[in-house]
Amino acid sequence: MKFFRAFLPLLLAAAILSGCGSSDSAASGGTVADRIDAAWQNYRLNEWSLALRDFESAIADTEPGGEDWAMCQYGIATTWAQRRPGEDPKKAREMYQELLAKAPRSAMAPWTELALARMIHLVPVGQDPDYPEVRKLYKAIEDKYPGHLAAKEAFMYRMSTLIASLEDGLMNEAAAELEKFVQGESQEFVGSSYSLLSVVYNMTGQQEKRLWAEENAFDKTEVDPADPSVEFAWAYWNLACISEFELGDFARARKYYNELMEKYPSDIRIHGCKSALKRMDDIEERIREDIRLGRPTARPETEKADADKPEA
Amino acid sequence: MNWIKNAFGFIGRYFSLLVVAGVFVWSAASIALYRSQEAGENEIVIRLGHWQLEASVREGIDEMAKEYSELHARLHPGAPKITIKQDAIPEGTYGQWVGTQLMGGTAPDILQVGAQLPDNIWLSYYNRYFQPISRYAQAPNPYNATNELAQVPLRQTFKDGMKTAYVTEMQEYMSFPLSLFGVRIFYNKNLLKQLTGLDEAPLDYREFLAACEKIKSQVNPANGQAYIPIAGSAYHFAHWDSMMFSPVTYGCIRRGDLNRDAFVGNDETYVAFKTGALDFHYPPLACWLKMVREVTDEFQTGYTGLGRDEAVFLFAQQRAVFMTTGTWDARSLQEQAKGQFEVGIMDFPLPSADDPVYGKVVEGRIYESPGAGFRFAVTRSSQHFEEALDFLMFLSGKEGNEKLNKIIGWIPAIKGTEIDPLLKAFDPHLEGIYGAVSFTLGGNTSITWGQQYDLYKVNQVSFEDFAKNFTEYYIKNGRKDFIEQQKDWRRGMQRNEQYLAGIRARAILSDKAYRESADEGERERLAQERESAWVRYRAITYARQLWNEINHARDMKRIEQTELPEGWVGPYEYSDKVIARIRERLEKEAGAEVAPPPTPEEADEAVAGPAPGEESAPATEKPAKKAKKSSKKKAKKAAEAVEAPAEEPAE
Repeated sequence: MKFFRAFLPLLLAAAILSGCGSSDSAASGGTVADRIDAAWQNYRLNEWSLALRDFESAIADTEPGGEDWAMCQYGIATTWAQRRPGEDPKKAREMYQELLAKAPRSAMAPWTELALARMIHLVPVGQDPDYPEVRKLYKAIEDKYPGHLAAKEAFMYRMSTLIASLEDGLMNEAAAELEKFVQGESQEFVGSSYSLLSVVYNMTGQQEKRLWAEENAFDKTEVDPADPSVEFAWAYWNLACISEFELGDFARARKYYNELMEKYPSDIRIHGCKSALKRMDDIEERIREDIRLGRPTARPETEKADADKPEA
Repeated sequence: MNWIKNAFGFIGRYFSLLVVAGVFVWSAASIALYRSQEAGENEIVIRLGHWQLEASVREGIDEMAKEYSELHARLHPGAPKITIKQDAIPEGTYGQWVGTQLMGGTAPDILQVGAQLPDNIWLSYYNRYFQPISRYAQAPNPYNATNELAQVPLRQTFKDGMKTAYVTEMQEYMSFPLSLFGVRIFYNKNLLKQLTGLDEAPLDYREFLAACEKIKSQVNPANGQAYIPIAGSAYHFAHWDSMMFSPVTYGCIRRGDLNRDAFVGNDETYVAFKTGALDFHYPPLACWLKMVREVTDEFQTGYTGLGRDEAVFLFAQQRAVFMTTGTWDARSLQEQAKGQFEVGIMDFPLPSADDPVYGKVVEGRIYESPGAGFRFAVTRSSQHFEEALDFLMFLSGKEGNEKLNKIIGWIPAIKGTEIDPLLKAFDPHLEGIYGAVSFTLGGNTSITWGQQYDLYKVNQVSFEDFAKNFTEYYIKNGRKDFIEQQKDWRRGMQRNEQYLAGIRARAILSDKAYRESADEGERERLAQERESAWVRYRAITYARQLWNEINHARDMKRIEQTELPEGWVGPYEYSDKVIARIRERLEKEAGAEVAPPPTPEEADEAVAGPAPGEESAPATEKPAKKAKKSSKKKAKKAAEAVEAPAEEPAE
């Protein structure tokens, strides 16, 4: 037992020492701007404690109500709102509100209001948001900060909730607002607005307008040039299918199928494109024959896959 | 002698404690010794960890490391010598090993990434423990300076555009993918010739089955048992299923691709079954299941209970003629067969266009996406980031990548590289068909699917019983499982919100940096950076947060559908309205007298059968009409497809 008593502390000490190592836990030094940068970097790495540490270290050296203070306050509130686990929405909300009270004209104020609205919108799993209230909050941001990107984002969220209702009245309301928005001077979220419009037109059976909206959405889509996963094969396919099956506009359908094959020669839909081109040729051939013989044209109900049932 | 007795007594009393202490001391000493041996004076040691235990991989890395070290010494005289050491860790323990090393801050400079752990774990590891390489991905690779890729940004020198290296959640390139992979059928050329008289394996499906039958009919004199045509196991079945069986279901898009995105999602499959648009008697599904039965009948009995190694054993012992495997096994299988038999590699057999059963259903070979693997990333804990990165650049250069893969026996990932002749059969099919249904709604539906499919595979349940049993369960319980699965959409939005806040902050800070900069040249760079940051933010907001709610609402609406709407036409069929429109246009083009579009009754008559003297409608149309009738929906007076909404693609 004597040996055990002597040996145990030694083992414990060794175990504790073996757990010690270098860490980057030292608070970041440098200017306030450096510390804010480091804090957001830690936020992006999901290093919540380090992010809070850096934000708090930076905020201590700022003038309450100033721009840097507002950025730190926003960062701390956002970290408490978004960290998982350990989120504290109540604390986050109070901090956002404090920001609005102390720095109502700061650059972070519109983003703070948007963050508060998003907290009401993004309810926990299993609950439904109070949509009328959410829309009211978004609309208030749009009215308070006209032209600001946060206001445009709020507008987009409001439109998406109207369309997601799938109720004709609300969808038409959204369409009217989106049509006005795309005619406006905004450069941001224009492609997205056309895209939302195409959903409404599709759900309400306006296929010509849907194609128009999809084409505009494609034209005005903003692309992150560094992202290799961004590709438009899907967009070409979609435009081709609308042209072919909804409008019977084969010239346009062929154009889009061909563009897809030309620009994305190794896309998964190449076989589908070739089948589509053949399908259109076949149906045209068949209709020409009907015209020549003066007989009506029946809808070909089947495809190759509807071959005779195999004996299985 | 007393002291000996005491010593034994002491050991006996504290045996377990002494073992623990001994192991601890041994571990500490091993680590200390390993580290002390690492670097000599004026030497940098780069450690590289991976899970490829194949001899050719270790040999390839060693060879390239040696070459790199010499090249570095030539290019940078006087600079510290660079030595690369590899830690090859077995697959089974790689995940735990990586976690321990990363968390303990003792990870190698370079680690193989992307498998052996769930994706979400890798994502968190990338976030915390690895260095992003986006900056380097956009610039040319210096090791391509003397070839045609000299001015090409690194990412565009990869055959797959470095897609697999890009982590969307982080918006960063994180790794260097060094090889491409594929699956084909390997076969014993000598045994095939001996048993069937064939010099090459048949690529036609019927001829392949006939060869299998011939093989099966002959007895192996070594053990008195029949030869096995195909060495199979649960592992190998997955190859056959994904490469040959599932693509037969491609035709299901014509009934089930309700949003016309060229795929049939699990919700669409469910709705198509529930509404009668699809069932297991639909030719692509029936043919798929028929092919599963026909081919697996050529596997050895009890294959579902066997593992990969048992099948490889049968092949290596020359008891089986065919076996599927990937590029990763090509070299080692060749080595094993050396001096015994010649290994051939063939593509999966394909039914001919005039095949009485499959000809009208199987439209081509499987589509294969050229995605690169064997990916390596540099850890944040590396003390020699520049050197580690440079070594990976060297391995990603055209010449380096070609040589590495030549030694290993894999397919190079870089454009313009030569492929080993043995691997020609692995050239990916960049055009083709693919599996188009998904029965995995989650929960009990997925479990039931697995059970029923397994029973069907081993002939314990007939096609009719399989179809009946699963369909009944699926239609009755699928909705519940789908709703459960859908709960994740809101959780996903919250994750996106967390992520977007970080991207937004980056954009706001880049705005600030631009405003505060006084240097004109710097301002130009910052203006670009700012613009790029905001474009990225808006693109992600649009792609991730705007669509979730709408897509969820549409999914929920669709899943409640119980029958096909009046006038429904398949997603890739033309409605009467569209037909009329095309006819009108063609009439105008032909300058013919414009006849009024046919009435629906006329259209029905025409479909029901041709008038005497008229040409018959293609025979292929009839079964579909029957199928439609069986769904008890007459497709008359179709004005428009009721459900043909193209949805935004999932992220």
